[in-house]
Amino acid sequence: MRTAGRPAPRGPEDDDAMTRSNGFSFIAPLLVLMVVAFNAPIVYMLGLAFWEKGRGFTLEHYEGLAETPVYLRVLGNTMRIALIATIANVVIGYPLAHWMRSLGSRARMFAIALVVLPFWVSILVRTYAWIVVLGNGGLVNRFLQWSGLTDEPVSFLYNELGVTIGMANVLLPFLVLPLFAAMVRIDDRLLQAAASLGAPPRTIFWKVYFPLTLPALAAGALLVFILCLGFYVTPAVLGGGRVPMISNLLDTLINQIPRWEQASAISTILLIVTLLIFAAYRRLDRKASA
Amino acid sequence: MKRRSFVAAAAALPAVSILSGTARAQSKEIRMIESGGASGDSIQKGYIDPLFKKTGIKVVRESPSSLGKLRALVESGQTSTTLFELGSGIVLQAKKLGLIEKVDWAAVNPAAMFPEAKNEYGFGYQYFSTIMAWRKGVKEPQNFTEFFDSKAFPGKRCLPDYPHYCLPFALQATGVPIDKLFPLDVDTAFKKLNEVKKDVAVWWKAGAQPPQLMKDNEVQYSICWSGRVVGDPAFGVNFAGGKSDLSFIAVVKGSKPEDKAAAWKLFYEMSLAENQAKAAEVISYTGPSPELDALLPKDKLWQFPTSKQNKAVQYFENAEWWAENGEAVNKKWEAFKLSL
Repeated sequence: MRTAGRPAPRGPEDDDAMTRSNGFSFIAPLLVLMVVAFNAPIVYMLGLAFWEKGRGFTLEHYEGLAETPVYLRVLGNTMRIALIATIANVVIGYPLAHWMRSLGSRARMFAIALVVLPFWVSILVRTYAWIVVLGNGGLVNRFLQWSGLTDEPVSFLYNELGVTIGMANVLLPFLVLPLFAAMVRIDDRLLQAAASLGAPPRTIFWKVYFPLTLPALAAGALLVFILCLGFYVTPAVLGGGRVPMISNLLDTLINQIPRWEQASAISTILLIVTLLIFAAYRRLDRKASA
Repeated sequence: MKRRSFVAAAAALPAVSILSGTARAQSKEIRMIESGGASGDSIQKGYIDPLFKKTGIKVVRESPSSLGKLRALVESGQTSTTLFELGSGIVLQAKKLGLIEKVDWAAVNPAAMFPEAKNEYGFGYQYFSTIMAWRKGVKEPQNFTEFFDSKAFPGKRCLPDYPHYCLPFALQATGVPIDKLFPLDVDTAFKKLNEVKKDVAVWWKAGAQPPQLMKDNEVQYSICWSGRVVGDPAFGVNFAGGKSDLSFIAVVKGSKPEDKAAAWKLFYEMSLAENQAKAAEVISYTGPSPELDALLPKDKLWQFPTSKQNKAVQYFENAEWWAENGEAVNKKWEAFKLSL
């Protein structure tokens, strides 16, 4: 509210300009840090594939990529596993967030704490913990054999199943927290209004509740998917070397061979694919909110 | 810094280093990047501690040592790290990429060494073997044909996720004797691996994985580094058909002369048989002195890669072949891994 006696009120544009310039000076240090410590090295790294010392511009490394289909197939495999892990995350995470919404405030805090708790444990420890749980002599297999459900131990680890379980576990909070935040914001009166108009619970969920959570679900799933693309530790430990993913290939190219130029070309393609997915999501999002 | 003054400084730099070279200045502290773990501890106890006692020169260790890290060191133009541990094949690669410097063997003036360890570009300081091992209680294979035969020797396998560790063993399983392994018949080796891949539960990247997986009974048979399994009562081992290889310490390109002078002093300590015996107390790998065997405990000779009975049944890594063909084989390896 503007107080009386103030000079002629300024237009909304002035207000905007003011906050914009103030805001800029606040974020300038962060911007500089990002450009110097993050963006510049990335540009340099991406440039490695195009520019060779003493030889100038070259496309040789991209040609090499085209001649070595195996690198692109590893990228394809990475996408597939990222997609599986994302779907697993959605299937587990959505009901979990929905259930958390229905809890009382105390129980809710407790549930959030349980979801966030794994963030405080090193990803390496969490990943190795799965070996204790899912190994041939692990808790689950011992229970299965004790109960007579199986005779032989079930191979949970050192395959795609193990990697999917591990990745879903590590990434669950990234999906659940934004989703839960969106669900809590949904006005209960909307649901009551639908009920008062005679909609059965199933219709209320699919026609009212679910569409309201969809943007957050899509954002969370996209975040999880993009994080999956870059996963390194989990496939390395739980994949037993049998689940080739792009980060592990990049590790070989950067640390062992070392062909940074080739690694840079692959990273560029990975980045482009990720940006395309992001652009597609933005389009969808705009359509959904329009 | 202005461009011109930068150029001037760059031009003056060699002159300065020649001066300090003639002055025979010597650093009191140098840095080394090595492969870590017990191997790093053995360098500390065997060579760094004696050097410090004699000369007061400190060597600070870091790990691990990947070729990519060496490239980053050299390309960023830093000179703080002088010594870098490399595998035998990697020495050739690093030399080709211009990442390491020649060793001034006259300045090192080492005690007697096996000739292959006295490389123009590195000090071969540690023999290690890659051998078959198993969890006690399973049927014990005598050679790699038996090792890969999962019908007669049932159980899960754990193999290295590196083609140059895996392919020669697979080739032996097809009946190729160890003196005829190179030039390596890559296609036949992959054919064999395709036959046995269903029995391989884990392809290991880190040397600590196979012993742990055998202890947990996740796998029963492994191909692994000898120092990780010999002497542990939980495992049986067989050096037959194993790979004997040599790890090198090389000097990073562009190192300062005074740091190099200190490095030659360390190399001298590394050539002494009594120091190598101290290192072998920490890890079951051996140094390059022909006099070393006499200083090792008799009851443990069977554990060492270079003792007579073991050296005779193993093949020595063909670093030249891998330097030529390594990259092409690596691509086939990635394709093979996708078929798992």
